[in-house]
Amino acid sequence: MRKAILILGFALFAGSAHAQLPFLTKRPAQPVIQGIDALRADFAAQSGGTTVYFGTESVILGAPARAVLAAQAAWLRRHPEVVVRIEGYGDGGDTRDHALAVGARRAEETRDQLVLLGVPSAQVSTTSWGKERPGLGRAVTVLVR
Amino acid sequence: MKRLFLILLLAGLGTAAKAQQPSGTVIAVPPLTSPDSGSKGNQMLAVGFDISQLIASDLRQTAELAPLPTTREDYYSYPEVTAPSLYKWRTAHAKTLLMGFVQSRSDGRLTVGCYVYDVDKGRELARKGFVIGPSDWRRAAHKCSGLAYTAVTGTPGIFDTRIAYVAESGVGDGRTRRLAVMDSDGNGHRYVTAGDTTVLTPRIAPNGSQVAFVSYAGGQPNVRLLDLDSGKDRPLIQSNAISFAPRFSPDGSRIAFSMMNGPNSDIYVVRATGGAAQRLTTSPGVDTDPSFSPDGSKIVFESDRGGSQQLYVMNSDGTGQRRLTFGNGWYGTPEWSADGQWIAFTRRGQDGRRIGIVRVDGTGERLLTAGPGDEGPSWAPSSRELLFQRAGTNGRSGLYRVTLDGGEPRPMTIPSDGSDPDWSGVMD
Repeated sequence: MRKAILILGFALFAGSAHAQLPFLTKRPAQPVIQGIDALRADFAAQSGGTTVYFGTESVILGAPARAVLAAQAAWLRRHPEVVVRIEGYGDGGDTRDHALAVGARRAEETRDQLVLLGVPSAQVSTTSWGKERPGLGRAVTVLVR
Repeated sequence: MKRLFLILLLAGLGTAAKAQQPSGTVIAVPPLTSPDSGSKGNQMLAVGFDISQLIASDLRQTAELAPLPTTREDYYSYPEVTAPSLYKWRTAHAKTLLMGFVQSRSDGRLTVGCYVYDVDKGRELARKGFVIGPSDWRRAAHKCSGLAYTAVTGTPGIFDTRIAYVAESGVGDGRTRRLAVMDSDGNGHRYVTAGDTTVLTPRIAPNGSQVAFVSYAGGQPNVRLLDLDSGKDRPLIQSNAISFAPRFSPDGSRIAFSMMNGPNSDIYVVRATGGAAQRLTTSPGVDTDPSFSPDGSKIVFESDRGGSQQLYVMNSDGTGQRRLTFGNGWYGTPEWSADGQWIAFTRRGQDGRRIGIVRVDGTGERLLTAGPGDEGPSWAPSSRELLFQRAGTNGRSGLYRVTLDGGEPRPMTIPSDGSDPDWSGVMD
């Protein structure tokens, strides 16, 4: 038991320090998926979607959104090497800067939920498209690398 | 004989009716003269004629002044610039007279002088002289127009001002957005960003030399400062947080903007030259779109702290925050007028987005446009009209002007779609 904890501790250390100690890099338990496009496809398939939706003017995550984010978080915990960006969108009827702020809030709420579910905060960044791009009223988790 | 008399009478009535048609103060703008002689003199007279015609055209756009046509028959000598023969203009029913000269300099530049006279009282109201490059004659004309307008109305004109906006083309994710700057009459139009990065909300510095704007160059929206002469830009502040909605203080020394703090958008202020930003609001929710009062002592902004988006006013150090609007609907994008009297806003409601104004004490609220896709009013320096963005049902958008006394908004002619207009102050 003590040995197991020690090995786990060593593995964690190796994981966080692999940049300095490349020969200690942990082998992934999962089958290795190569390439960002394949990773994105796997993420979308296993999370039930990359997108969560909000009610007009709302920044509250509903039950369907939370279910999607739980699946996203599980996938992201299995792929600590992947970095994602949450892109929040505002509502079309809104004014420009308010929509930008609402999009940013939706992205932050989504990120907070993922972090709450055990995803390291360094793995998730946020941005907002306000009403500047098509696809209003949602937050999209985009795999960056 | 009787018949002839009748015809003459009718002709007389016709002329009288025609003369009364312009509602503003009648101003004569005879062509500028020149002290130069020979071919140089002819050249200067030609420039002077162009300047006078542009002055008349500038003033014809206003409701307050009605210029008489500029004709070569009205040439006068150089000494008459400071000793005009006013009798001629009294008989032409002009109340105001604008005279002046163009003189060539040994360095190739031009000296332009403008003089404004009260025709009835026979006295000088204002004069101004300046040295310009030969290609800058339009600016000289705009400055003379402003001199006459201010002499008659007591308020600043809009002639020597600039407009910045976002020029848009293409559709969907591929829509290209470039910052563009032009003179307020549409001349001198130029693009100041390349179009490879999404840009939003340009705001011109009061002296016209810089533009604060929002750029996605770093992957997320951040406020940047662009120097119009060098074309170089830099981040306003060093921060990883999303920042947006910049606006200069009236003296150009500070910039107010909003920045995300986790899920909160708060208002900050920072020196335009850089340094640490000072946080002015701390309430949960969205505080954004700050705009300074003309004396720089107060800031109007929008906040949804009370449950819906409304306008609030605070001192420019963040103290004394109070709510300004209590009407139906949601209020955003406030901008304080240069005369300090009004705050323009976008109101969102059942009937879409409309432009309106309210006094700084919260009274006298009035909607100026019918919507439904209007947004982002920006005051003319005269405080008598607003520039705003109107989106059509076809997904396209344009820039429109509307005056405070009502009437249909008029579209501005620009090369492509446009959004986020900002009207500069009068440049020195």
